[in-house]
Amino acid sequence: MFWRLVFQLLRGSRARLTVAILALVSGAAVISGLLNLDFGVEYQLTQQFRTLGANIVIAPRAAPSLPESGPSNPALMNEAELSQVQANIPPRTPYSPFTYVVARAEGNPVVAVGAWLDQLQALNPTWKMEGNWVASRDDSAACLIGRNASRQLHLATGSALRVQYLNQTAECRVSGILDAGAADDNQVFMNLRALQSLAGLGGKVSLVQLSVNGGPAAAATAASQLTNALPEVEVRPIREVTDAEGHLLGRIRLLIVSMIVLILILTALCVLATMAALAMERRADVGLMKALGGSIGRIAGIFIAEVGVLGALGGIIGAALGAGLSYWMGLRVFEAAIPPRWEVFPITVLTMTVVAMAGALPLRALGAVKPASILRGE
Amino acid sequence: MPTVVQIENLRKEFGKVCALDGVSFRIEAGEWIAIMGPSGSGKTTLINILGGLDTPTSGAAIVDGVDVGRLDESGLTRFRAEKIGFVFQQFHLVPYLTALENVMLAQYFHSTTDEKEAQQALERVGLGDRIEHLPTQLSGGEQQRVAVARALINHPKLILADEPTGNLDEANEKIVLDLLRELHAEGRTILMVTHASSIGALADRRIDFSHGRLVTKVSPAGSAPAPGSKT
Repeated sequence: MFWRLVFQLLRGSRARLTVAILALVSGAAVISGLLNLDFGVEYQLTQQFRTLGANIVIAPRAAPSLPESGPSNPALMNEAELSQVQANIPPRTPYSPFTYVVARAEGNPVVAVGAWLDQLQALNPTWKMEGNWVASRDDSAACLIGRNASRQLHLATGSALRVQYLNQTAECRVSGILDAGAADDNQVFMNLRALQSLAGLGGKVSLVQLSVNGGPAAAATAASQLTNALPEVEVRPIREVTDAEGHLLGRIRLLIVSMIVLILILTALCVLATMAALAMERRADVGLMKALGGSIGRIAGIFIAEVGVLGALGGIIGAALGAGLSYWMGLRVFEAAIPPRWEVFPITVLTMTVVAMAGALPLRALGAVKPASILRGE
Repeated sequence: MPTVVQIENLRKEFGKVCALDGVSFRIEAGEWIAIMGPSGSGKTTLINILGGLDTPTSGAAIVDGVDVGRLDESGLTRFRAEKIGFVFQQFHLVPYLTALENVMLAQYFHSTTDEKEAQQALERVGLGDRIEHLPTQLSGGEQQRVAVARALINHPKLILADEPTGNLDEANEKIVLDLLRELHAEGRTILMVTHASSIGALADRRIDFSHGRLVTKVSPAGSAPAPGSKT
């Protein structure tokens, strides 16, 4: 009988409750959308920031870590010292050792860079490539060349490139011409082993660049682990990137939380106004129920369940709509859909149920209804 | 016959207004009593006190051994659910519940619901084919019959009927009075407020009120005691 009464109450007051359910659905949809966005924003933002390149650099102690200064840096690390890198970073983290020398190509001085060529695309997603990336780090016959260097050396994709260092010479075929919009455009990128062999620097690297996914916290954790694992070298998070990412993430989260709080208050106020009007309408029913021997506890239980059902219903519909909303917002803001998170669903439903019950406070006034007054028609 | 209602020097004041002024009388089990008097004479106040909807200022109103004036809010709630069956002039049905659900509502507040029993109660008042109708889909007489079924469903010790035919046409008035007559014949105790002498004459006894005082107690046979007497 209890749920029968609740259902009939909902049906009997559907016109007035429509306003409340619309407020709850709207509130739930926006909150669900924002929560999905909040859960997804870190991943999306991290992806965006990863396009800026590496966020951790491992370099010899007291040596400048910027790639362009690499060739002039006399300090080099032993590759053997870096064997612990893989074990201390998340799986599938793009990283590569780099060795820099100033060599000559076609008679002109040029910065030759040895690297794991298969990692360059993942480390530098914004680089534009004319031709092909190099798919294998073992492919010593292929190389990449910067846009400016290719003009200077009159090389196109498929051209043979001869690189000289002192009295040594190495040859490779230009697989692609890269456009980084930075100093990399002046450089030649070769297979790491080939360059080390050319320069007589077997097993020596200038630095290692890593692009750790998972936000500033993940980068900081990886940097900390690497510092502990590699005490002989210097591990440096690139602060400009990680700090900017952290600040932006913090601000977006603050904005989302503020909006959620605001929407919850507005939704509760809307439900409150509806319930205040409903409480006036229900006085006669409550007076009669009391006259029939209904305790205030049992009567209140019916109304609380009614409001709870209303809140849960609003939460369920709104959460479903919110999943679509976050999907759309992801496409608009990050140009990538934000998939709905399952945990958002119960959070939204529970929140809306609590908000609906908070908004039902005016029904407390029904506890003071005197059945005799109601039955007299007062 | 055991006493179902015992009223001793009952007094009820609303501020400076005295609605009941030292009323005393008894009702035996199975009696049908008609309470009569002009508006404002204290009839409804008496019904409200006996029904546990209001409390007396002083005196005692004892129903089935329970002194209503000594009950707290929770006790009054249980008292209304277990001892009293109300029939109101305005029917007072819950508009969004069907006839059946209105009867079951009284069951729900009393203890547990029994749909079959509620259905039988409606069949008894001639509404077996109207159980799924909402009050707005029923005539006034049918609504009052639903109210009678609701009043009977918990087997109350006392049926309080406040102008039960006041809003009915002649045909429906007859149906409802026949129902009350049947209930009386079954041994139910009925206290009925009415303005109509013809209806009051159906009762075993008639009690007249004026200005909060019991002025006459007349049997249907017409043996009238002196005005202003207390019994």
